[in-house]
Amino acid sequence: MKFRCERDVLTEALSAASRAASPKAQLRVLSGLRFDLRGDQLVVTGSDLELTISSTVEVAGSEDGTAVLPAKLVTEIVRHLEPGAVEIETSAERSRVSSGRSEFTLLPIPADEFPTPPEIEGEQVTIQAADFAEGLRQVVGAASTDESRKVLTGVLLAAETDGLRMVATDSYRLAFREFPGSSVLQAGQRVNVPSRALQELTRSLDPEAELEITLADTMVSFRFGGFVLSSWLIRDEFPDYAKLIPTDMPNELTVDRQVFLDAIRRVKLMARNNSPIRLEMQDQAVRLSAQNPEDGEAVEDVDAKFVGSELTVAFNPEYLIDGLEVVPGDEVVLQTRDPQKPAVIRPTESQDLLYLLMPVRVS
Amino acid sequence: MRLVVARCTVDYEGRLAAHLSEAVRLIMVKADGCVAIHADGGAYKPLNWMNAPNTLLDEGERWVVTNPKGERLTIELLEVLADERHDLGIDPGLEKDGVEAHLQALLAESPETIAEGLTLVRREFPTDIGPVDLLCRDAAGVAVAVEVKRRGEIDGVEQLTRYLERLSLDPLLRDIRGVLVAQVVKPQARVLAESRGIGWVEVDYDVLRGAAVDDLRLF
Repeated sequence: MKFRCERDVLTEALSAASRAASPKAQLRVLSGLRFDLRGDQLVVTGSDLELTISSTVEVAGSEDGTAVLPAKLVTEIVRHLEPGAVEIETSAERSRVSSGRSEFTLLPIPADEFPTPPEIEGEQVTIQAADFAEGLRQVVGAASTDESRKVLTGVLLAAETDGLRMVATDSYRLAFREFPGSSVLQAGQRVNVPSRALQELTRSLDPEAELEITLADTMVSFRFGGFVLSSWLIRDEFPDYAKLIPTDMPNELTVDRQVFLDAIRRVKLMARNNSPIRLEMQDQAVRLSAQNPEDGEAVEDVDAKFVGSELTVAFNPEYLIDGLEVVPGDEVVLQTRDPQKPAVIRPTESQDLLYLLMPVRVS
Repeated sequence: MRLVVARCTVDYEGRLAAHLSEAVRLIMVKADGCVAIHADGGAYKPLNWMNAPNTLLDEGERWVVTNPKGERLTIELLEVLADERHDLGIDPGLEKDGVEAHLQALLAESPETIAEGLTLVRREFPTDIGPVDLLCRDAAGVAVAVEVKRRGEIDGVEQLTRYLERLSLDPLLRDIRGVLVAQVVKPQARVLAESRGIGWVEVDYDVLRGAAVDDLRLF
């Protein structure tokens, strides 16, 4: 295999594919990137068996072929070369990466051990990426990273009568986004997509692109431009989240989102190890406070409109910040019921996004 | 461990000079010679301390602790409110694999968490290649070997396979089957286990030990 390609183009393709490679895998081949060259088309693929990312770029091909090179090393080498054309030439014994006066020789990994990228056959829909990407950005962060509750490490995509829903939760908070009128899925269809796959998708997704989604029984793939990401689905049943969404919330705080966020970040400096911050909701203000026995305490008042009974609720500040960051608009609404029941953060002018947050029990 | 609660003053001389004026404090003298002076606050951190090796000269109302670096801690005991000694014995230390061992103990206490009707025969059941974590019987009386891991991976399946081979040589355990139990069982381990007729179960450590009870959760 032999080709030439502009450094920046190749770096982008290698970086995308290498995010699916697995440097610590027991199978050494999974720590590599597979290069497939046919004519002037180069496909670079990384996979850890659960997630596969392929990136296709146009190159100046001289000799077709296939090779697997160590993902991290080849990506770093190409990234650090001088701007300009990069040439890669491989044989069974060695691979050469060169540009200008730099030349690297790499020992290739046997390519026949590399897993065949999955061919996913199923329902296919094409949508504008922008809304989908925004929705993912809003919900993915609420998914769990605790592998012991695998079902919560995914994002539920569900077809409801009024459109598409995205839901993610780690059992302490839950992000819920609706897309009225969207028909990405068939009626009644629900799939649980690993959040890691969706995080990688959002990192690479061009909001201006058209995104092609293919759904099979056990796998999903996302394709735009020369980028293809495929992942296994999580097969366990997603928890019944709908019953958790409260309908009767007697207390409602409306506050400037950025002012509130800035104040939380300041007060959080005194909330060590994610100890909670308290929100005392009063008529015209909310008082934030945090303390720790070793350093002291912080208090800040923020102007706000409050309707309901005065109460104090404590939250994990990180989760509170995460929720406020994904809600659009200049103002946000924080709805509460009592200090031990879920609170809701939502935008002032839309019901399409909800961020449910469990308080922290304090004495 | 000697614990003295006393109204005292403390003076330190060494890299700098420091003085603690008269107040009631806890003075800890550990078996290894460490001396630490605590107030009733400040979490784990003593107001002043001197690590071993050192020499403690007990003159009754005045203790002088010195070390080879030339540092000196002088404690004037104005009123002793309590003076106790306790033998704490040898500390087992922090176990790196404590979670796995604790998981095994918790499952031994409640094997029905693994499968309904499962009862424990013995923990650390010996085989000639090492002990299997739990030997149980299911509701039908069939022997079940349980291997407990934090993360269920291919190695765990291989290990359990070897135990099952050895255990099945015993006529009383001829029909024995195996179950891999872990907080997480990796997909490759699930496939390998199922291909060998070995079961796998994921358990929630926090729920087993009751740690999650005080958390407010949506689920």
